[in-house]
Amino acid sequence: MKIILDQDALFDNNKAASFNRDIFAKSKTVVINVMSSPGAGKTTLLEKTVSALSNEFRIGVIEGDLATERDAERIRAVGAKAIQIETNGICHLDARMVSKALPEFDLDEIDLLFIENVGNLVCPSKFDLGQEHQVVILSIPEGNDKIVKYPVMFRVAELVILNKIDLLPYLDFDIEQAKKDLQGVNPKSEFIQVSSKSDEGMESWFDWIRSLFER
Amino acid sequence: MHEVALMGDILDLIKNDAEKRNIKRVSKVELVVGELSNALPDALEMAFDIFKSRNIEMLQKDAELIIIKEEAKAKCVLCGLEYHPSQHVAVCPECNFPSGELTAGETLKVKSYQGE
Repeated sequence: MKIILDQDALFDNNKAASFNRDIFAKSKTVVINVMSSPGAGKTTLLEKTVSALSNEFRIGVIEGDLATERDAERIRAVGAKAIQIETNGICHLDARMVSKALPEFDLDEIDLLFIENVGNLVCPSKFDLGQEHQVVILSIPEGNDKIVKYPVMFRVAELVILNKIDLLPYLDFDIEQAKKDLQGVNPKSEFIQVSSKSDEGMESWFDWIRSLFER
Repeated sequence: MHEVALMGDILDLIKNDAEKRNIKRVSKVELVVGELSNALPDALEMAFDIFKSRNIEMLQKDAELIIIKEEAKAKCVLCGLEYHPSQHVAVCPECNFPSGELTAGETLKVKSYQGE
């Protein structure tokens, strides 16, 4: 017997994502899914962000990693509530993993929740976690060809943060080409340049976050 | 390699549906996989074989996976041209402007399965 199913392969994930979305809407928590390749500087950026904004917002962080609690510990050290999801080898977070972590937070007491996805430019792009906002970080050492090499990832970004611009004098990264590529892949995406090491440009990232609360 | 996780979800979807219909054995699964779905057909095949070798009750030993590939297509909102997107997915080759919107290629779905 042939059964026509015609169903999205991510049907179960999407159901959990909309469950999460309802919870976030109820608690009025702004949720940002942060994605990048490994080593692009997600955790450092979030450490700095928590330090800078914790007097304005009550911040929570969900850390996704293949293994170890290390990133969550770094975030706790700067004063935010952080929950680690160890995916045990799975290369992305999915909405069900996030659902299971949510009871660890009192979301009514969290204004801003970051979900730091597993470092990977392919797998996390298709898994809706129920977040309202998606940010992709690209860093100078990775080279400007990543945008055209991983278009699916860069297409889901609402904002692309170019990180580690303090390294520009030492490496051949063509910012104009990167901007052109982003425009060609995802013309709706915003683009900001920062160095979470020297703090250059970080204020524009903080302003972007603040603007989410005014929408 | 999120294809193993995806295949797990796909087989769960089929299992849930099959249970409702009292179908015990699945002999064929048909997927539609878009060029820009970020799922690789080869990796899906491999994942399917892994699940088969794990003796998942529902899957027949000789169960077959059919992948229908969906080509990426985009349409320009300005001139209406339909094109096969290149590196700059959103750039219309006629207008040379990021005015194209994807109309196909992102699909990842279970089209059908066969069983009894």
